[in-house]
Amino acid sequence: MSAKPKVAFFDFACCEGCQLQIANLEEDILGLLGLVDLVEFREVMTGTAPEYDIAFIEGSITRKADEERLKDIRNRAKILVAYGQCAVTGGINKLKNLHSDMMEVRKIVYKDKAAMEHLDTYPTRAVGDVVKVDLIIPGCPINKDEFVSIVKQLALGKIPRIPDYPVCVECKLKENVCRYDEGEICLGPIARAGCGAICPSNGVACDACRGTVSNPNKQAMHEVLAKYNLTVDEIIGKINIFAVDPEVSK
Amino acid sequence: MEILKISLSDFLAHVNKKIQAGDSKQVGVVPKGSHFVFGELDEAAQLCLDYDVTILPPKKYFQPQREVLVKYAPKDASSYAMVNDCENLTLIGVHPYDLVAIHLMDRAFSEGERDENYMAKRDCSVLIGLYPTRGFEHRFSASMIDPQMPYKVADLMLIKLDDNQLALEVVSKKGKAYLEGAAVAKSDLSEAFLAQARNKVKDSQAFPLGPDKSPAYFKEKYEHPVWEKLGEKCYSCGSCVFVCPTCYCFDVRDEVELSLASGERVRYWDGCMIESFAICAGDHNFRKERGARFRHRVFRKTVTLPEKYQVMGCVGCGRCAQACTADIAGPMKVIKTMKEMN
Ligand code: SF4
Ligand code: SF4
Ligand code: SF4
Ligand code: SF4
Ligand code: SF4
Repeated sequence: MSAKPKVAFFDFACCEGCQLQIANLEEDILGLLGLVDLVEFREVMTGTAPEYDIAFIEGSITRKADEERLKDIRNRAKILVAYGQCAVTGGINKLKNLHSDMMEVRKIVYKDKAAMEHLDTYPTRAVGDVVKVDLIIPGCPINKDEFVSIVKQLALGKIPRIPDYPVCVECKLKENVCRYDEGEICLGPIARAGCGAICPSNGVACDACRGTVSNPNKQAMHEVLAKYNLTVDEIIGKINIFAVDPEVSK
Repeated sequence: MEILKISLSDFLAHVNKKIQAGDSKQVGVVPKGSHFVFGELDEAAQLCLDYDVTILPPKKYFQPQREVLVKYAPKDASSYAMVNDCENLTLIGVHPYDLVAIHLMDRAFSEGERDENYMAKRDCSVLIGLYPTRGFEHRFSASMIDPQMPYKVADLMLIKLDDNQLALEVVSKKGKAYLEGAAVAKSDLSEAFLAQARNKVKDSQAFPLGPDKSPAYFKEKYEHPVWEKLGEKCYSCGSCVFVCPTCYCFDVRDEVELSLASGERVRYWDGCMIESFAICAGDHNFRKERGARFRHRVFRKTVTLPEKYQVMGCVGCGRCAQACTADIAGPMKVIKTMKEMN
C-alpha cells in the first residue's frame, strides 16, 4: 500500500473496552496516525467515509439490524478485522447462548424491565459467523502491543501473523511455576498465546481469554482433566467464560 | 586436577566478594515458589546448593529467550549493525547433566557456521559445577552422560561433603582465577571418598540404550504406533523443548518501530513441537501431524545427535517429563510405552 490506508473502527455488542485500549495508546497513537488515515472512529472523532482499506470490528452480532450494518461495512471494506473476543468468538456475550430462551435471559438480567423493546436480541454470533473475516485480534480486552504490531504489518503490506501456539510457550519462556504443579487446572495448553502468559506469570491459571489455538487438542484436555478426577462439565464455567470454543467443551 | 577444600561459609564469603567487586554477574540457583531457577544473586546467602532441578536450564544465559542480533534503519542499507551484547557471568551450581548439555550446545553453535552471539556469551562465562545432593523423580542422567564429559566445560566442580564442607575440583585456569583470595586448603581426601561423595544420590530409573545402540534401535521403530499413540495426547505446547537443555532451535523476526525509521532483527526460542514451527513457503507445513512432531523430537535426542556426536542428545535431566502437562514427553515414558505395546 503506497498511500496511507483508510482505516475505520466500528462497534457492535460489547463493552467498548477494546476501543478504549486503542484510544489509550498514548504516544503510539501519533505513530499510528502517521501510518494510517483514520476516517471513522466514534470513540475519538466524528465523520464517516464511503469506503475503507481496513475496517476494524469490535463486538458481537445480536440483532438483525446489526447483521445488515455489518454486511454493508464488509461490502465497503477491503480488509475486515475482527478485534476483541466479542467479535472473534462472541466472547462473554455468548454466555447467554447457554440458555435456549432469550426472554429467560432478559428476565435474569433485567427482571421486571425485561420486556423493554431494545433488549430484543437473538443468540450471540461472532463477526465471522455473519461475514468473511480476514484477520482476528483476540483478547478480552485486546493487547495494545499486538494491535500496534498488526497495524504496522498491514501498513507495510505484510500478511499479519498472530501467535497460533499455546500460552504455555510464553509461560515457559518466563520460567513460571506451572499451575498444574500447584494442583490447579490451567487452560494454557489450548489457549492462544500473545498475552505474554500474564495470568500464570502472576500466579493465576489461564482462562483462555484470547480463545484457543486454531487446532486445540481437546482430547488431550479431556484426558488431563480425567487425571485430576475432573470432567469437562465440572470446569465448564471456566471454559465458557470466554466462549473458548464450543468444540472443546463437547 | 587440583583438589581443594573450603568451608561452605568461606565459599559464600568469597561469592559475596565477587558480587561486591561487580566485575562478573554471579548467578546461582534460587527458589521460585515450590521450584528452583537460575537467577542473579544479590547476596551469596540466596544461593541454593541443594536442589532437584531448575525450571529452565542455564542455556537461557547463552541463548536468551529474546535476543537482538542486528539493528537497522529499514531504508538505509549501510545502517545494518550487528549487536552482540554480553557481560561477564559466573554460573554457580550447575549439575553435571547441564554441563554436558552446554558442551553439546557449544558444539552445535561453534562447528560449521559459528554463532558469534552464543560463543561470545560462553567466552564471558565461568561455569561452577555441582554434584547433586538431592534426587529428582524424573532424572535418569547417570544412564545418559559420560561422567568425564562435564569436565570439558566446567571451570570448577563443587562436591558437597557435608553441610559445612565443600571439595573443589579446579578444572581450568578460569576456575583457578575465580578462587584467587578464597580461603581454600589442600584436600587430604582419598579418591574413593570423593567418588562416593560425587554419587550421593542415585537415579530411580535408567535409559536402556547408549549412543552406540540407540540410533539403530529407534530408526527401526520409525513406523512404530507409539508415535501416534503418544502424539495424540500432545498439546503441541512446546514445553518439552523449551525446558530441554540440549534444544537450541530459534525463530528470527524483524521488528520495526512504529515510525518505520528503525528496526531490530530479533531471535526468539522456537521448537519443533509447536505446530507452526514447520510452516514455510506461505502456508506449507512439512510436519503437520502431532505424532510426526513427537517422533521428530525423540529422534533428535536418540538418533540425530548420537549419530553426529557419538553422545546421547538427551542428558536425562527429566525436565521435559515434569513440564509436560499431558505426561508424555519424557524419554523414559516413550521407551516404556513402546515396550508395553510390543
Ligand atoms: S501454568 Fe498453564 S500456561 Fe503455564 S505452562 Fe502450566 S499449563 Fe501452560
Ligand atoms: S486468561 Fe490466558 S490468554 Fe487471557 S490474559 Fe490470562 S494467560 Fe493470557
Ligand atoms: S529430552 Fe527431556 S530429559 Fe532429555 S535432556 Fe531434554 S528435557 Fe532433559
Ligand atoms: S528437538 Fe526439536 S526443538 Fe529441540 S533442538 Fe531439536 S529440532 Fe530443535
Ligand atoms: S510438553 Fe508434552 S504436550 Fe507439550 S509439546 Fe511436549 S509432548 Fe506435547
